[in-house]
Amino acid sequence: MSELHFLSPDRARSEDLFAPRFASPLARVLAGTTSVLDLSQLGKIEVRGDVDAIDVEAEVVRITPRRALVLCPYEQCAELRARLPGLVIDMTGALAGLELEGEQAMRRLTDLDLEGLPAAGKVAEVPALVLRDGSRFRIFFPQEFAHYVGEVVLDVLEGIE
Amino acid sequence: MSFLLNCPNCGPRDVNEFACAGEVTSRPKALPDLRGLTDYVYFRRNVAGVQREWWYHRFGCEIWFLAERDTRTNEVLKTELPQASAGTSSAG
Amino acid sequence: MRLPEQLNERIDRSRPVRFFFAGRVVEGFEGDTIGSALFASGQRVFSRSFKYHRRRGLLCCSGGCPNCMMRVDGVPNVRVCTEPVREGAHVHAQNVLGSLEHDLLAAVDHFGGPFTPVGFYYRTMIRPRSLWPLYERFLRNVAGLGRLDKHAGRTRRFDTEHRRTEVLVIGGGRSGREAARSAAAAGRQVVLVDERGAPADGAFEVLAPARAIGIYEGGLVPVDAGNVLYRFRAERIVVATGALEQPLLFPGNDLVGVHLPGAVRRLVDEWSIKPGERAVIVSADERGLAVADKLERAGTSVVERIDLRSAPPRQLAARGSRGRLRSVVVDGREIECDLLVMSGGRQPAYSLLAQAGARVEYDAERGIFVPSDLPSNVEAVGSAAGEQEPAAVPAATFEGAEGAGRCFVCVCEDVTEKDVKRAIAEGFDSIELGKRYTTVTMGPCQGRLCHVPSIRLFARENETDEKAIGTTTARPPWAPVSLGLLAGRGHEPTKRTSIHHRHEEAGATMMWTGFWRRAHSYEHAANEALNVHRGVGVIDVSTLGKLLVQGPDAARFLELLYPNRFGDMKVGRIRYGVLGTDAGRIMDDGTIARLGEDQYYVTTTSTGADTVIEWFEWWNAVWGLDVETVNLTGALAAVNVAGPRSRELLGRLAQIDTSNEGISYLDAKETYVAGVPCLILRIGFVGELGYELHFASPYGEYLWDALLEYGADLGIRPFGLEPQRILRLEKMHILVGQDTDSESNVLEAGMPWIAKLDKEDFVGKWALEHVQERGFREQLVGFEMTDGVVPAEGGQIVLGGRPAGRVTSSRLSPQLGRAIGMAWVRPELAHEGAEIDIKVNGGFARACVRLKPFFDPEGERLRS
Ligand code: FES
Ligand SMILES: [Zn+2]
Repeated sequence: MSELHFLSPDRARSEDLFAPRFASPLARVLAGTTSVLDLSQLGKIEVRGDVDAIDVEAEVVRITPRRALVLCPYEQCAELRARLPGLVIDMTGALAGLELEGEQAMRRLTDLDLEGLPAAGKVAEVPALVLRDGSRFRIFFPQEFAHYVGEVVLDVLEGIE
Repeated sequence: MSFLLNCPNCGPRDVNEFACAGEVTSRPKALPDLRGLTDYVYFRRNVAGVQREWWYHRFGCEIWFLAERDTRTNEVLKTELPQASAGTSSAG
Repeated sequence: MRLPEQLNERIDRSRPVRFFFAGRVVEGFEGDTIGSALFASGQRVFSRSFKYHRRRGLLCCSGGCPNCMMRVDGVPNVRVCTEPVREGAHVHAQNVLGSLEHDLLAAVDHFGGPFTPVGFYYRTMIRPRSLWPLYERFLRNVAGLGRLDKHAGRTRRFDTEHRRTEVLVIGGGRSGREAARSAAAAGRQVVLVDERGAPADGAFEVLAPARAIGIYEGGLVPVDAGNVLYRFRAERIVVATGALEQPLLFPGNDLVGVHLPGAVRRLVDEWSIKPGERAVIVSADERGLAVADKLERAGTSVVERIDLRSAPPRQLAARGSRGRLRSVVVDGREIECDLLVMSGGRQPAYSLLAQAGARVEYDAERGIFVPSDLPSNVEAVGSAAGEQEPAAVPAATFEGAEGAGRCFVCVCEDVTEKDVKRAIAEGFDSIELGKRYTTVTMGPCQGRLCHVPSIRLFARENETDEKAIGTTTARPPWAPVSLGLLAGRGHEPTKRTSIHHRHEEAGATMMWTGFWRRAHSYEHAANEALNVHRGVGVIDVSTLGKLLVQGPDAARFLELLYPNRFGDMKVGRIRYGVLGTDAGRIMDDGTIARLGEDQYYVTTTSTGADTVIEWFEWWNAVWGLDVETVNLTGALAAVNVAGPRSRELLGRLAQIDTSNEGISYLDAKETYVAGVPCLILRIGFVGELGYELHFASPYGEYLWDALLEYGADLGIRPFGLEPQRILRLEKMHILVGQDTDSESNVLEAGMPWIAKLDKEDFVGKWALEHVQERGFREQLVGFEMTDGVVPAEGGQIVLGGRPAGRVTSSRLSPQLGRAIGMAWVRPELAHEGAEIDIKVNGGFARACVRLKPFFDPEGERLRS
């Protein structure tokens, strides 16, 4: 059974000739903005199996009874991969993430019930996972949409005085 | 279409978050004759009334589920997770 | 000229506002609308009508008719009677050639007799066909209202906002506010939307000016607030849209100076304007007659009041000159006047309720349509529900006087009584058909003024009653909405690979494939293809669908989905697979690598990825096998390094032995490449020795750069989709969706070795067995042109003057120096060397059928 090392960005290593550079898919679009934080390099590990069996010191977002996303600092990915139960998939590179402020901005991005978060649903026309902390929101979505989502989010913020 | 659909996992959501794969059909258990195969692959009942359908929460939790929907009013009477090995499928 | 200060006037006389109209400066006050300021300045003609270019004035003065639409600061079709004044605004009349007073297009009204009947264009402008371009230019000129500035660009921003509320009240009149207040008092969260700008209220949220444009399923109410479209989801919707003042139908009823009571009331009360000198009132209800007091207060003398409830006249007509009212003729009596207030009673504004699913029934007693059987989440209050004072049911039309003009049923579309009669005589006697034929109710007022009158007229002409005629279907939008608002912010969901920006920086020509942006080519497609054959090239294939299939039932699951066999594969090996449906149709293709006993890594086509993933998950839901499918498409970047020198390049970067012994054709190996953990698939993607590297997306740019850097001396160059297409065609690799369609199966597509028909079951097995039994109808083959011309894709293949197939792919191969392609042909042509004729530029070109890959037919270079 392969351990799928090739999925985990944190397994890249610098050798004498090579120094792999992690690049966020939001880097270009968010360059020069302070209103939106780039969370793309956060560790994101998907667990398939019995979600209730997860017992780690990290933020666990339950998507279905058999599927969850565990959020952790990048440095903690290796440890969590080893400790999490079930089928463990490193989605750190798969999902881009950003954090923004304001309920109105969110209402212009999604139809999701902002009182019912976290939830998986449509944000800016793409599938996403949304978490809420007071008036701050974190959104995770497929990295291939990152540049586009970044543009939409900045445009939405521009439209709100 | 703007009705709400109750994802068995996520609760009521705008129908635009879902994909519909049409009415539930039944895959023959064994090699059907040509007529049986054609019926299964191409023919649909297309009822004006309550229909059992496959839905996928494409923008949400990404699960497939079954819904009973009145095709005349878009009223969704029931949604549920499929029973494993229900033997139902569609040819797509 | 204004009256002395009125009790409830809206204007602030201390704050003048100036704007431009037709080259002059017009002054109004804060609180004016553009329409009221223009009226106060003496303007009476506000527009020219749609078809006849007749002068029109402020008929309703409440945003419900087409008569005051103008272009304001470049925005067409603005109703100036409700548009607040703005300092410095530029206001222009529309639908005129010249000025409102001297509109050259008004000739249609005077001389254009033959152009006028409904259906004229449909019937006349068909033949001769050759004249269609002329007709089209003419029709485009007369169709539609207003002009768009095609070079305006994005001058305004539009946003969409999703809102939820427990109670949404539509309409800020007395009943609406009462309903909102009582719901708020009961502890509900309430939002009230009002089109006229109802004042704020402490008990609930007021959104104004804002217009509900429809009620959709699921309690969805889009609300147009100018720059923001609110998509309200409300648990309960209270419709308090009030009632609509109805006009009367008599000859001359569209003259400037004919008003509905509300217009007069507003002009006097809100803007302190004297609406005319001598007024006649003809009214079916008390409301209409009640404006007499206001008029007298404003100094207008009311010379005649006609109460339709007690003494309805038989004859009623308005006479005018130059489009303006001069007199009214009542039963032979001519009364001089410059103002005619007409009131045909009030019709509940039920449209939103009907959209929500309510029934609408005619109340013959009161002569109005009343909503009933409301859906459980919708409530109607006030006059929208049918509450109102008694009124007379006016005649469908009044008889005219000698020399009186046209009698308009619909002022938006200029439909006259005569038009409706003619339509009925021609057989369009149902209201739905008549509507479509005459376009009555289809104009900007959306039936507010013409729906009920047209039903009455249909009833009379069909010698039946309004109940039997019934209403037309109510549809959104209830209020006009700008296309910009519906379009919203205008961002298209776009997928970019993690290497995307490198392609742009390299000057690649980008193209859409599904949601993806991909490099078509960097410079010259043919050279990029040649470089792969001669040295080494690299292509970004991160767009490929990538799936992990893992679990005890993984092999079984794949064997059920694919015609191929996978259980017998060795760990670390790769197999090409073609996915089919139960109809036998080819839906996708890709590679399947076995990474472990119960673990497979599946790739799909770029555009098919989402479909395939959903397909896998769906069958998994049906079968309930012990297997997990995980979409890794975005998690991984992928690049294909191909060409005779690719081994050398990979040897410099990878930590494995890249010789044939270290990693042979169709091996899958995990290793570090330039410090990045990769899954290497040695496959024949473009027909040369090649390696596909799959690795974590965040290193896309890094690894791409490393390959280009370490391959520079080997002549490495990136190649795009177009050279890839050429290279794959040289190998006769099919392109699903291009070379295949909804009829194509693996057998006839020339890949019988894919289908293991001895397996007990797999999706599509029965259909393939059937194909085998019935024999092939056509086959997918390669072909090579004898004279080098490249036939068009889709081009016809002809045999003995009859169609015998079609070209699906064709390219000039720079490597082979020949034009090659793929085609579906009749089975008798599907043998090596068969000669076929392909239609090219009206003539025929000769080609030879080829069954083996054009390039490296034995695959020696692949395995090298
Ligand atoms: S007069 Fe402005 S809409 Fe009727
Ligand atoms: Zn769901």
